[in-house]
Amino acid sequence: MATASISKAERTYIQSSLQANPPLRADGRSLLDYRTVFLETGVAPLANGSARLNMGKSPQEGGGGTEILAATKLEVEDVETGGGVDGGRLVCTVTCSPSAYPQLSSNALDELQYDLTTVLHQTLAHPALHPCNLGILPRKKAWLLSVDLVVLADAGNALDALFMAARAALWDTKVPRTRPIQYQGRRGGGANEDAMEAEGDPAAGARSAFDTRDMKRDAADFELPDYWDEGEVLDGRDRWPVCVTLNLLPPTHFLDATSSEEGSAPVKLLLTFSFPSNQPTSLQAMRMIGSGELLLAQMKSLLADGEKYARDLFQALEAKLRDEDVRRNVKARGKFAMR
Amino acid sequence: MDEDWEEGSHRLTSPGEPLTSSQAFMRGHGTYIDNEEVISSVAGTVERVNKLISVRAVRSRYNPEVGDLVVGRITEVQPRRWKVDANSRQDAVLMLSSVNLPGGVQRRKLESDELQMRTFFEEGDLLVAEVQAFFADGAMSLHTRSLRYGKLRNGQLVTISPALIRRLKSHFLSLPCGVDLILGLNGYIWVSKHVKQTEQEGEEAFDAEAVYSNKNDDIDDATRLAVSRVSNIIRILAAHFIPLTDTLLLDAYEWAVEQEGDVKELLQADTGDAMIATIAARD
Repeated sequence: MATASISKAERTYIQSSLQANPPLRADGRSLLDYRTVFLETGVAPLANGSARLNMGKSPQEGGGGTEILAATKLEVEDVETGGGVDGGRLVCTVTCSPSAYPQLSSNALDELQYDLTTVLHQTLAHPALHPCNLGILPRKKAWLLSVDLVVLADAGNALDALFMAARAALWDTKVPRTRPIQYQGRRGGGANEDAMEAEGDPAAGARSAFDTRDMKRDAADFELPDYWDEGEVLDGRDRWPVCVTLNLLPPTHFLDATSSEEGSAPVKLLLTFSFPSNQPTSLQAMRMIGSGELLLAQMKSLLADGEKYARDLFQALEAKLRDEDVRRNVKARGKFAMR
Repeated sequence: MDEDWEEGSHRLTSPGEPLTSSQAFMRGHGTYIDNEEVISSVAGTVERVNKLISVRAVRSRYNPEVGDLVVGRITEVQPRRWKVDANSRQDAVLMLSSVNLPGGVQRRKLESDELQMRTFFEEGDLLVAEVQAFFADGAMSLHTRSLRYGKLRNGQLVTISPALIRRLKSHFLSLPCGVDLILGLNGYIWVSKHVKQTEQEGEEAFDAEAVYSNKNDDIDDATRLAVSRVSNIIRILAAHFIPLTDTLLLDAYEWAVEQEGDVKELLQADTGDAMIATIAARD
């Protein structure tokens, strides 16, 4: 991982402070405290869903903190001729702004982007999390859901922030409603006298209304009905995972490291949990970053701890996202009605 | 319009503000011409030299001047020189010939010194130095030829905007809570455990072991707590854009201790605001 350079004296100071009793961090947080997280959804008007997240910004001044911009965009893909997959697919891309990592060369920045993209893509595009409303026409058309994230500034713990921003953007995503359309040759008429009909309209069909054998296959295209809203929410919005990075500094571990703390903890354990409502919690991804080793027994206790932290984080994020929904829909509508 | 630019007067301007007519004056840095008017493009102070109008931005990188005390971080080791990040537009340069070497101040630099430059400073090391001169391209050259300058240990770095550090009589502050501060004019502040004057300067002879050591002394929990508290106070003052002075820091520290709160509570917005309100009232 890209860590800002740090001197040996600073590193030992941070390490010994963390291992002191009681442990003390540079800004006085306890080991399990997160910095303040600022989150806003719906920041990009042209995206289907978007979010901006800042972790650790000081409230009075604009600067500081890890800043992530996330946006999702839906595109139609052809399953037969294009690269589409039946039922839709999700592609995740992370871009790092060079100003977030001024110490990195462009090659190192590319590598970092690639690493982050891999972590995000492999976790979010997992079949277990796949939303079921990304298909348009079976075996013909499907949505491609691109999740694009930009790291605008990194003040440590970019991965947790990336996952949180991705979750917020996906939560915010609206899938446009579609209606399949079929082209049907009129019985007895020439092939070029095609009539365009909506599938759901049985009276208009020249054939028997009960003859539905070819219906599915014939659905060749779709239309976008005009509704007052932008579509229905993406399925499975409660399944999107949250990530906690446990920075291991035996015998303790701590959360939400700043960049200098990241430089002082040799091993990081990345745990990604999903908390679907009325289903058991599932561990979606797990990764160890850095050099060092862990015993299985330690791993087990860390997993249990990690789940607890992730649940707290999940609940806080969920509350904030519901808040944002209210702010953007109910309140905005009320304001509009008042005008 | 152009009445109040006597030499030495300071007038604040904001982006888009018309300054004067472009007929009578020339535009300098931080301005542009539109509609035959010189207009400020940044927020800052207006400066005039004869017929040249320029605006010096408030929020900018550090503009070095000779004699300034800066705190920097080594970014690169090059032949006979180190590159130092000092929050300026370009990396500063620290020549091997401008550091104190073990075995006496007046010693000649040998080839062996060039080969073991990393034993003095290596990448990531923090140091305190003075701006010695400028190169032709505007990069600054540093020196550490004083016993007060050199590698930094026993503490942590806080970064704030360089505009908030005023030129003081001394930039080495020592707070009664057992914390030393080095206020780099480039906005880097080193907060560390107090080291006694005699220990710091050594007994006459220059102790190279200690000067280039990477090992921290033993630091007790109370000192660590004080270091964290002072760092947080600096961060809050910076967030409220209040220039640092030693009396201000002391007032704020006393206030923070009186509150008997946790160190982390300082970073919460209402606590910070309360602190600012209290110390502003005392002045």
